[in-house]
Amino acid sequence: MRFVTPTIVFALTATSALAHGPTPQKVDQSITIKAKPDAVWKVVGDFSGIKAWHPALEKSEGDKGSKDGGTRTLTFKNGGVLKESLDEYKAEGFTYSYRSGDADLKALPVSSYSATLTVSPDGEGSKVEWIGRFYRGDTGNEPPENLSDEAGKTAMNAFFGDGLKGLKGKVEGAATQ
Amino acid sequence: MRELFEGKSGVVGEDWTDGFVTHLRHSGAAKRNPEPTTGRSVSGRFRVLAFGEPRNDGAGSWPTVVMRSAWLATALLVAATPVSPASIFVASQGASQLARIDTGTNTVTATTQVQTGPAAVAADARGRLYLSHPDASAITIVEGETARVLKRLTYKGQAFGIAADPLGRFVYVGDWTTGRVSRLSAETGAVEGVVAVGKDPANLVLDRAGRIWVADRESHQVSVIDAARMERVATIAAGEAPFALCLSPSQNRLYVANVRSNDLTVIDTAALKVVATVPVGAMPYGVATSADGARILVSNQHAGTVTILDANSLTLTDTITVGRYPEGIVVADARAYVANWFSDDVSVIDLATLRETGRIKVGAGPRNLGIGQTGEAGR
Repeated sequence: MRFVTPTIVFALTATSALAHGPTPQKVDQSITIKAKPDAVWKVVGDFSGIKAWHPALEKSEGDKGSKDGGTRTLTFKNGGVLKESLDEYKAEGFTYSYRSGDADLKALPVSSYSATLTVSPDGEGSKVEWIGRFYRGDTGNEPPENLSDEAGKTAMNAFFGDGLKGLKGKVEGAATQ
Repeated sequence: MRELFEGKSGVVGEDWTDGFVTHLRHSGAAKRNPEPTTGRSVSGRFRVLAFGEPRNDGAGSWPTVVMRSAWLATALLVAATPVSPASIFVASQGASQLARIDTGTNTVTATTQVQTGPAAVAADARGRLYLSHPDASAITIVEGETARVLKRLTYKGQAFGIAADPLGRFVYVGDWTTGRVSRLSAETGAVEGVVAVGKDPANLVLDRAGRIWVADRESHQVSVIDAARMERVATIAAGEAPFALCLSPSQNRLYVANVRSNDLTVIDTAALKVVATVPVGAMPYGVATSADGARILVSNQHAGTVTILDANSLTLTDTITVGRYPEGIVVADARAYVANWFSDDVSVIDLATLRETGRIKVGAGPRNLGIGQTGEAGR
């Protein structure tokens, strides 16, 4: 495990605004929820309301609403901040796609990402798929371990996976109340 | 399916150790080599030109005799090519694999393991494919007909955008990290010339007039390079984050897909000016035209669609759903092939009905495609 001095972290953060590398990686998480898709969508379809179900977040605030061009600002419990914007919001299809703004390696060790969340029927309940494409935190050819493809995969899969568990808990908890 | 692995072909990787500064000093020899102009070319990752299509070389600075002989050589080479359906080559970055798809049967007829993470694909007119490997500091040259690795060139940089001259003498490659485009000898990998472009050069394409068009992604512009002199002759402002490029069949237009502004910049290649900016789908990552140039096809990564535009009116006429995170797109005859990066497959679109008629499974993370002839010319 290599250590990065605060100066280097700052430098990377400062120069990685909208940085984009040549090698994308996949993140692919899904979960089944014992609730109808419209009940799940009521919770997850509120783009700026992610804080209500994501355990890693301290705060989430939105602008312009849950529609194309809408944005949200996520404040992580560790202090990191990320802004995301909606590319396509299709309420009738229970799906939306969004992309990242400036990178914050403290929030997630990736330089840029885009993602799609989709709710679909699954038997009596629902399946939620959260997939995405991201680029490692240091897009150069010799990234430090904490900004490598592997570090990005671990962090993104954890963020999506933990989020979906939180969503399941929130929706199924509400359904039994 | 036959598996062909590199190494079996006995190719020795070329390893040149000179820095590019040294090569710059010796770039005079390279300047004496004009780009060939051809009546038929497999241009980068985009399309096969119709035989006998008018040239648009505008290369007044090149010695006419050399130009003519180069054209003649290519014409003879083309005449010797047996008629066979085009093959599509798909580079899968995750699987480090090149797959060859026969367009007659739409099946994978060969796969070739290559070095880590091939990103972009180019083709020459001799049936060879050129792959860039950003994470491996390398370029691979593959013989299309046998799907064998002919050469592995070392490239000091993050190779991304790639093009080859029709005769397969030169490889043009962009370095994502340093914002440069280099011309390498396809034989030795030696750097013959280097030119600075904008930030994060993404895809690039070589035209028949010997100009290289480069999408400078983070400079939001297109750089135009004189390939013979390896000098930048123009920059043209594009939309936000231009990534993929495609020339129209007559090469009078360049279409540029802008990833962040979700639009297509249309450039007049003679006037070097933007003539239109057209909205497309979310996150456009690939662009191609139909063989007659009447339609423009754009893959939209976020939307999971291909949008079809009328090239004359520049209006959107159709939207076709494909796989997830579609990226590279090429047209062969009356079909379009789209690499679905997330779905690990290639969508086949029938351009007559504008329907997706099939999906072909390929290795993980397919990003780009090239078109090659399986009948190897010039042997």
